Amino acid sequence: MNGAPYTVLRTRGLAKQYPVAGGRRLVAVDGVDLALDAGRTLALVGESGSGKSTIARCVVRLVEPSAGEVWINGRAVHAMGRGSLPELYREAQMVFQDPNGSLNPRMTVRQVLHEPLRLHLKLDRERREARARQLVEQVGLTPAHLDRYPHELSGGQRQRIGIARALAVEPDLLILDEPTSSLDVSVRGDILALLLRLQREMRLAYLFITHDLQVVRHVADDVAVMYLGGIVESGPVAEVFARPAHPYTRALLSAAPVPEWGVTRTRLRLAGEIPSPIDPPPGCRLVGRCPLAQPGCSAARPPLVEVSPGHLSACPVTLTAGDRP
Amino acid sequence: MKRSAADATLDPAALPAAPPARRRRAPASWSLRIGAGLLLFYAGVALLSLVWTPYDPLAPGMGDGYLPPSREFLLGTDRLGADILSRLMAGARYDLGITLVAVAIALSIGSALGTIAGYFGGVVDTVISRLVEVFQAFPGLLFAMLIVQAVGPGVPNIILVLSFIGIPDYLRLARAEIRSRRAWPYAEAARMVGNTPWLVAFRHLLPNSAGPLLAFTSINAAFVALVTASLGFLGLGLDPNTPEWGSMIARGQDGVMTGEWWVSFFPGLAILGLTGAFYLLGDALSDLTDPRRRR
Amino acid sequence: MTVPLLRVDGLGGAFRRRDGGLTPVLHDVSFALQPGCITAVVGETGSGKSLTALTILGLQPSAFVRRSGRILFAGQDLLALPPSAMRAVRGRRISMVFQDARAALNPVFSVGAQLADVHRLQHGGSARAAWDAAVEALRRVRIPEAERRARQYPHEFSGGMAQRAMIAMAALVCTPALLILDEPTTGLDVTIQSDIMELIVELCRDRGLTACLITHDLGVVAESCEEVVVMNAGRVVETGTTEAIFTRPQQPYTRRLLAASRLDAAAA
Repeated sequence: MNGAPYTVLRTRGLAKQYPVAGGRRLVAVDGVDLALDAGRTLALVGESGSGKSTIARCVVRLVEPSAGEVWINGRAVHAMGRGSLPELYREAQMVFQDPNGSLNPRMTVRQVLHEPLRLHLKLDRERREARARQLVEQVGLTPAHLDRYPHELSGGQRQRIGIARALAVEPDLLILDEPTSSLDVSVRGDILALLLRLQREMRLAYLFITHDLQVVRHVADDVAVMYLGGIVESGPVAEVFARPAHPYTRALLSAAPVPEWGVTRTRLRLAGEIPSPIDPPPGCRLVGRCPLAQPGCSAARPPLVEVSPGHLSACPVTLTAGDRP
Repeated sequence: MKRSAADATLDPAALPAAPPARRRRAPASWSLRIGAGLLLFYAGVALLSLVWTPYDPLAPGMGDGYLPPSREFLLGTDRLGADILSRLMAGARYDLGITLVAVAIALSIGSALGTIAGYFGGVVDTVISRLVEVFQAFPGLLFAMLIVQAVGPGVPNIILVLSFIGIPDYLRLARAEIRSRRAWPYAEAARMVGNTPWLVAFRHLLPNSAGPLLAFTSINAAFVALVTASLGFLGLGLDPNTPEWGSMIARGQDGVMTGEWWVSFFPGLAILGLTGAFYLLGDALSDLTDPRRRR
Repeated sequence: MTVPLLRVDGLGGAFRRRDGGLTPVLHDVSFALQPGCITAVVGETGSGKSLTALTILGLQPSAFVRRSGRILFAGQDLLALPPSAMRAVRGRRISMVFQDARAALNPVFSVGAQLADVHRLQHGGSARAAWDAAVEALRRVRIPEAERRARQYPHEFSGGMAQRAMIAMAALVCTPALLILDEPTTGLDVTIQSDIMELIVELCRDRGLTACLITHDLGVVAESCEEVVVMNAGRVVETGTTEAIFTRPQQPYTRRLLAASRLDAAAA
């Protein structure tokens, strides 16, 4: 199954704006380029309001992007008619954050799993049932769970069903929208282990949306750090985490507490809180909060520049100062 | 949030599936029992009247006029000597039947349009919502009287009029319910497993709004029953000899002044019982579907 | 070891189900809070950690039936106090910070007015003095432009700012001996979370406050707390100093929880 690397997902200049009162506009996503190869995991990290969930929804047109291109398996998603979206959903599926809210409370697990098999794959009842049994076992449950309603399952079991539902059509791309953030830590580990196993077995590409840096370190190959609708830094996880170039990445990494005794962190502190995404000023998004800001930072939006092979950062200050930790 | 004991251990998914928890139902409240019981009684009487009534409900002169309740005529006779009990029994067909059919039509059309407006939004929503506002500017009974005058008498017309004035309420409720659920992850998930927007709206979202809609339907039915009787009382839409309870009250009006109270009293009691039953049932249903009491 | 400020002793109880039966939820829960220390009570969903905290304040849900135990606070059994005496303890001697600060603030009064109101209830004095104290408390928790912010309403506050205001109310406007924090940083962004925890630690150190931090986040515990109580399924699994719990966990559950938090291979 190990073919040459081929790109499952690519976005160019993806943007989403919402009009707000007074003729102003809320910029949720602002010109995002992503690339994700088969069998790989790209983590999209950021805090609330960074636009990472909006990107997830734009990629599969649950939210209509305002501008930009999305290519999945070579298909121009941005140009598809709404009527042909089901074709897209046979290749790209999504696992939602809250397994409670993403399962219809009136449907049994069997009904949940039969639905994509009936609607997308047009399987007959017998083959649907066989596949549903296979799916529950694939995610570590048993056929006995098929008769359950969501409220009869634990949080972790519900998320397993959400994963099984997404796998039903054998997609190439799985968009994971904070799949572990409403789960207890012990369950989190199990779900991540399951996702890693499934990826190995099926060569799935994961677009992994999360705010949990430990999860990124654990599962992702590449990471894109988002702030206020744009990517400020991206690259291989090991490289970005070991040598963060952008001040925001440094602030984020140094803020996350580690469950170890005697670890002291040197925090890079940002001033204040995340500003409003409505009519953002030109220049670096971080300029008002950044301890390293220079007068030139508010003039124009700094572009992503390669700091080492595959590692991009949108901060000219740290680049020229050469202060790499 | 209450979770199962399995959550307390470190690896819930590895545990065998527990037997399905029996749904713990709250004991039926007294309002549910009385409301549902009364409605069943009315329905039974209406069905019985199709095959048996003590006397012919339409024929006058079964006895003398204005006979008080007696063993022969349990609830007395009216001015024309028709048996009131027989007429009450036959009247259940009209009052209950008209109410149920009208409410069913209003519920179906109203919640369908409301679902469309709520899920698709945009121009569709604007047009539908503006139309609703226009119709809601008129008080229901007044509006019903005007249309009945316009379209002419007859049971089908009354049903149409009553369902028509009910549609806006159902529409608005369904629209609000669907709108609040439209952005739920399970609506998004339903799109991604291959449902068309119509299927998402009608197969996934609408059934989850059934509780509040049914509770409202029952309370609304009480109002419709009252409007039905009011139209009958005013002599609008039905032949005056129809054994409809409202027109029976009207026929007994003169008697009330001269002491023949039973002619109007018993139909009035029947109306009170029917509206009360719908209210009690609706009250119980809204308690049952209140999100704070849902598991 | 010194005399603890608060001792939970053999607390046990159950939830009354709607069908009248009882579901046991707490079993012989015992631990002590040392004066001047921040003690973490750690556990996952259903561990009973929040229920225990609420019981200390007498705020447990009405369906909870206590079957055993005492809660000794400064030598007094809180569970034996009449409601009126408990009200006097709540706020004055023991105060609490909740997870969702914006929901805990009243939406129709300005934040400053709510703090001032509590100040007058606790300490009396003029309205003017109470307002000044409220603004000072907001400034102390490093809310910028405290004067202007005090006149704003809870919905104008971000989650992090609202939590600062709650901490100002619970730790500064009230002058308690014991501060209970129920998941105070859950739901906040990482950078904000760290700032809030630093503020909590700093206030406790400055004022010699005893604090009980209810949390599921072992990362927060490692940095901020002196003592740890690990709970699971309504039982205390292990207690000890933070160093001991993190470096020499005795119980298998504690070890598994630590491994899961660190996403060690063992947890996968």
